[in-house]
Amino acid sequence: MTLIGLIVSIVISSASLAWGFAQSGFPSFSTWIIIIGLGWLLAIWQRWNWYSSIALIVFTILSALGLWFGFIPGWLFAGGVFALFAWDMAEFRLRLVVMAKDDDTRGIERRHLARVSLLALVGMALASITMLLRVKFSFEWGVLLVIVTLLGLGQLVGWFRR
Amino acid sequence: MYRPILLSALIYGLLLAGLISLRGELIAFSLPFMLYLLYGFWNAPGALNLQIQRRLSSDRITPDGETIVTLTVTNHGADIDELVLDEMIRPQLSIRDGSPRHLIQLPKGTSHTFQYTVAGMRGSYHFEGTFAATTDLSGLTRQEQVVRSEERLFIFPDFRRLKRVSIHPRRTRVYAGMIPARVGGRGIEFFGVREYQSGDSPRSINWRVSARHVDNLYSNEYQQERVADVGIVLDARVRTNLFQSNHSIFEYAVTATAALADVFLTQGNRVGLLVYGAYLGWTLPGYGKIQRERIMQALAHAEIGVSSVFAGLEHLSPRMFPPESQIVLVSPLVGDDLEVLIQLRGRGYQVMVISPDPVKFEVSHLPKSQLVHTAARVIRMERDLLIRRLERAAIQVVEWDVSIPLDQAVSSLLVRQRRLL
Repeated sequence: MTLIGLIVSIVISSASLAWGFAQSGFPSFSTWIIIIGLGWLLAIWQRWNWYSSIALIVFTILSALGLWFGFIPGWLFAGGVFALFAWDMAEFRLRLVVMAKDDDTRGIERRHLARVSLLALVGMALASITMLLRVKFSFEWGVLLVIVTLLGLGQLVGWFRR
Repeated sequence: MYRPILLSALIYGLLLAGLISLRGELIAFSLPFMLYLLYGFWNAPGALNLQIQRRLSSDRITPDGETIVTLTVTNHGADIDELVLDEMIRPQLSIRDGSPRHLIQLPKGTSHTFQYTVAGMRGSYHFEGTFAATTDLSGLTRQEQVVRSEERLFIFPDFRRLKRVSIHPRRTRVYAGMIPARVGGRGIEFFGVREYQSGDSPRSINWRVSARHVDNLYSNEYQQERVADVGIVLDARVRTNLFQSNHSIFEYAVTATAALADVFLTQGNRVGLLVYGAYLGWTLPGYGKIQRERIMQALAHAEIGVSSVFAGLEHLSPRMFPPESQIVLVSPLVGDDLEVLIQLRGRGYQVMVISPDPVKFEVSHLPKSQLVHTAARVIRMERDLLIRRLERAAIQVVEWDVSIPLDQAVSSLLVRQRRLL
């Protein structure tokens, strides 16, 4: 179940990102995205566990670049969110290695998939709602956002390190 | 640890890019990542509070046997969605059935039981404990606990019981046993004839001798049978036990030692064990089942070792063994052991050597060729000469071809020796 989820999410992520770039007139980028996606699938087969983090970074940067240059945001959001989903699945699959035959593998997989799917869905919905609620992005808004982000993440890191 | 850092870096990057480019899409794009990170931290597991009970179906087995380990894990803390349990097992133990690693869900106050079967080579194995870890859904935060344990598994040498081993030490102890004490009294074997004394059973009167002497009656006297002190020395020197390609004859020596200790203790003797290797591992002499357990534990721990101090047997001090007792050396033997053994014999000890045959053992692991055959013949002659010298010093030597079980190979020899002595 996890493997299927992982493969499907990699395919969707690569395809939507490639489609987003292709529609905006960058087919060569699309080719490279497909190659990276195929590499990710190969990495699953070969158990190159480091690859998923690299792929997440590359897909996120490509999605951000696309958004910066004003490409169609829906495909890019889907590419980024499904890359995050695949990254999570890859790590979850590593955790499942320790499972014994008589453990409730299906139950644990089902619960995890349900939660991560819900998170991805809510994340996409939030991002879409944010896109609809356009607020004029003034300098004051920017400063406030930076301060809130720094404080919030600082708290999180501090909490995490404790 | 790197996962939250990676996610945080991506979120920072997207926010900064959004601020620099003044594009809300980038900030909106960072929201799913933020949500994922926040959910991970919100869902972070609390400190683990687990209680683990481990039961072994048997804590004393042989290398052919196996034991079933049953673990019951009880969660006294908060609900755990994904709990990794990993038994810390010595690499020398092998898993025959089940798994020592599990990933389970364990709600608060509940228990989970699992089993696995282990087996292994001779030794003493401590179950160090169980490693438990849990993460949040995203694998961002982690809590770990190591639940220590005290259980031990002893894998004793596997041996077939010897029916009887006859020994004749000069000195015996006062308690009744099975060793002829060279003293007249009650017993089975005829010892001599003496004048009738009041209290002698009429059955013991030797009528044939009495008929020849009209003035007195004569009684038969039997040899008293008593227990004795037996010191078993297990040679654990690398130079005598280890051969080409790390083939070791030591396991056979351990098996023989276990069988001998068992038979001597069964006969009621006081038995001690000295493992002579990298150090002197001394199990003080004792009787009975408790001593058997002590000796088996010592044998479970025994391993070959190198020491420049104990390279020869000269540290086999006579003070370690009661005077004129029985010493049994289990050793493949090397040339310079001769002198020490003869000295022990000269001090009045009855010395018996059970020698696993190293020549046959090594040849069985070498390719068959004329060179090997010739070398084996030369070494065989040297060994025969050594054994002949030992026998000339009245040391009982029993050669054991380890391809045959000990009881089959030596029991007839050990019983027959009784008649010779």
